[in-house]
This record gives sequence, C-alpha cells and structure tokens, in this order.
Amino acid sequence: MTYAYLFKYIIIGDTGVGKSCLLLQFTDKRFQPVHDLTIGVEFGARMVNIDGKQIKLQIWDTAGQESFRSITRSYYRGAAGALLVYDITRRETFNHLTSWLEDARQHSSSNMVIMLIGNKSDLESRRDVKREEGEAFAREHGLIFMETSAKTACNVEEAFINTAKEIYRKIQQGLFDVHNEANGIKIGPQQSISTSLGPSVSQRNCRDVASNSGCC
Amino acid sequence: PSPTFDFLLRLLPTFGSRGGGVAMKRGHEVRPALSGAGEAGPGGMAAYPGRPGRLQRHLLSGEFDQLRDFTIFESNFVQFCSPSILSLISDLWPQVTRLGEVANKVTMGVAASSPALELPDLLLLAGPGKENGHLQLFGLFPLQFVQLFVHDESRCQLKVKFRTGRAFYLQLRAQPETRDREFGQWVRLLYRLRFHSVQGPVPFTQE
Repeated sequence: MTYAYLFKYIIIGDTGVGKSCLLLQFTDKRFQPVHDLTIGVEFGARMVNIDGKQIKLQIWDTAGQESFRSITRSYYRGAAGALLVYDITRRETFNHLTSWLEDARQHSSSNMVIMLIGNKSDLESRRDVKREEGEAFAREHGLIFMETSAKTACNVEEAFINTAKEIYRKIQQGLFDVHNEANGIKIGPQQSISTSLGPSVSQRNCRDVASNSGCC
Repeated sequence: PSPTFDFLLRLLPTFGSRGGGVAMKRGHEVRPALSGAGEAGPGGMAAYPGRPGRLQRHLLSGEFDQLRDFTIFESNFVQFCSPSILSLISDLWPQVTRLGEVANKVTMGVAASSPALELPDLLLLAGPGKENGHLQLFGLFPLQFVQLFVHDESRCQLKVKFRTGRAFYLQLRAQPETRDREFGQWVRLLYRLRFHSVQGPVPFTQE
C-alpha cells in the first residue's frame, strides 16, 4: 500500500510498563496479559490517516531491561516520534523517566516528538503516580502527555495518532527536513513534497484530544 | 572487501550453493576467486553474484534506513513445533506459529552491526506480513542473548533459544539439491558463534 510518509517511532521506558502491549493493542487491537520479555527490538507497523494523508507508522518496540539498554539506544537514531512509557502503578518507572528522556534526546534528532504515556490506567485502585504528576513532568520537558490502558485500549489509538499529528504539523511548519533520513521521516513511494503536503493538519491540541476522549 | 564482508568470507569458506543468501554491501564486488563457477556470491550463498536474499532486499527497499547497509547471511525456514517443547513466540509475530497452529514461513538472518566486527552480532527474523503477505521484519535481537542449536541435522532443523527462555524450531526451506550444503553453512556459523561465546562449542541441542 502506498503512503505519503513513513514515520519511525520508538517505544521506550522501564521493563514491564507495557510497551509491547501498547504496540500489540495498536497494531492488532488485542491485549495479551502474559508477554515474554522483549530482547533487542521488535517491530510493528500500521497505516494511519492524518488529514487525508496515508501515513505508515514503523514502530520499534525496544527492550526496557537495563542489560539491553546500551544496545537498544543505538536504534533511537532516526526516530521521528517516541513513546516514553511509565506504569502509573509503579512509582519507580516514573522516577526513571529523566534518565530515559536524556537517553532519547542524546541519541536522536532534537525535533523528535515525544509522547509521555502513563500506562495501565485501568488499574486505578493501584495508582501510585497521580495524573497531575505526569502532566507536570510533560509540561516541564515539553512533551505531550496521555494516560492509556493497553488492556482496555483506552487512549492507545490516540497516543500513536496524536504523535503522528504533531510530527505532521512540524513537517508543515518546516521544522522537519523530510529529505534528511536522520529525522525518521521518509517520503512514500512515488510521492513528492508537493503531493505529500496536504491542507493544513488540524492544530488541535493533543492534550485536548486526550482529555476529551474520556475513557481514562 | 569491507571487514563486514570479510567475516562472511571467513565464516563460510565453501562456495557454490543456491539458496540462502549473503548479499554484498553496496559498492563492493565479489572477489572472483571466491565465486563458484561464476555463480556464487561470498560464502557461496547467493545464486548470482551480489544477488541479495529476500530479507536483504526488504531492508534495501529503504524503509529501515539504519539496517540498509547490513550484510546479511539469511535463509528461509518453516517454523514447527517440537513434540516435546511447544513454541513460544512473541505476540507481535502474528504469522509465526503459536501453540498448536500450522507451521509458518520465517526468514532468519545474521548480520554484523559494525564493519569492525569479525562475527555477526545480530539475529534478524522476518516473515510474511498479515495484510499482504509481503516480507515483514519482526525483530532484531543481539546474538549475545540468543543461542542457536542444530536440532536435527538430518532434517535440517535448527533451534533458536532466547536468553529469556523463549525457544522455537525452524526447518530449512531450500532446493533439495542445495539444502544440505546450505544447512552446512548454518552449522559452521553455529560453530563459529559458539566457539566465540562463553557457553563453549556446543552447537547441537542440549536440553
């Protein structure tokens, strides 16, 4: 299938926060409660439609365990978007965000769009990190923020798609050089810039979308 | 040849088979002295000089920019369930056999992430995508966290075991006239990898 753009995403964060489950929910619309530990990188892909344009999301699901980190961080390069995930029921996964963020910023393009995700929002009774804390961290570091549940699919689509919208917005603003592959964006086969760039993408704020979705 | 190319030459010293595939890094020529009857590429894996395998072609298509220049030794397999150990496969691999399902096609390759390496350090797994059947890369795994075994040499079967305990079995798919030779190249690869690993030289299945 043809597409206007391909965006490379990475999913990063501590082990067990639900990175692979988020990907599985997004690509296959299903949830697998027991999942083998990811080693290295596993890949997923899905087409999304942004403002009438077909965009292929190529998603690199990285291993979260510390022992794999030195290897997986070498694959951050050339990502246009990152989903930085923590588990709202495990405070330590939130505490480690700064380290993940430093890693991501050090090893990827400065224009990379980063979506902070507080996952497992279905486990409200076990919540250990307030939503406001996630929002504050995102605000402080210039990230988009959403709480999601890979189990119930709440906000999962929105997390991936809003990241794509923000990347697309940056393309339209000229912040991304789509000819520089280091930015994690590829123009689709038989596409040109003039045909790839459609009318202005919605400027709707991603957080507004998140808060309006109402499921988390 | 580049150092990456060299590792394949050292790894697979005999030539002349069809099937499997070792593609050259772009811009490198096959050394004529190493090509069997003018047909084989380095390692004897390619039917035509420099003709890349399916996985290599997939990466060369450009969607995986970072992996495009990898030199890959690859073969096509069918995954099957061992009678004794059921296959445990990532849920992100929808086309790969899960419990009790029919066997599926898998393309497996090894590559070196750096031209400075003497041996491959990455395992790549790919298979038909669920939407259109086109080859799709499933995963990229550091070989230090993977063990490869010969499961059944007579049936050209390998066992792939991850450090996490996940394991699955693959049977080589190749032309009958070249299958043994191609499998022999995998056996040599396994020996090489095992001799350089802390586990020692035991390339055959050890349960």
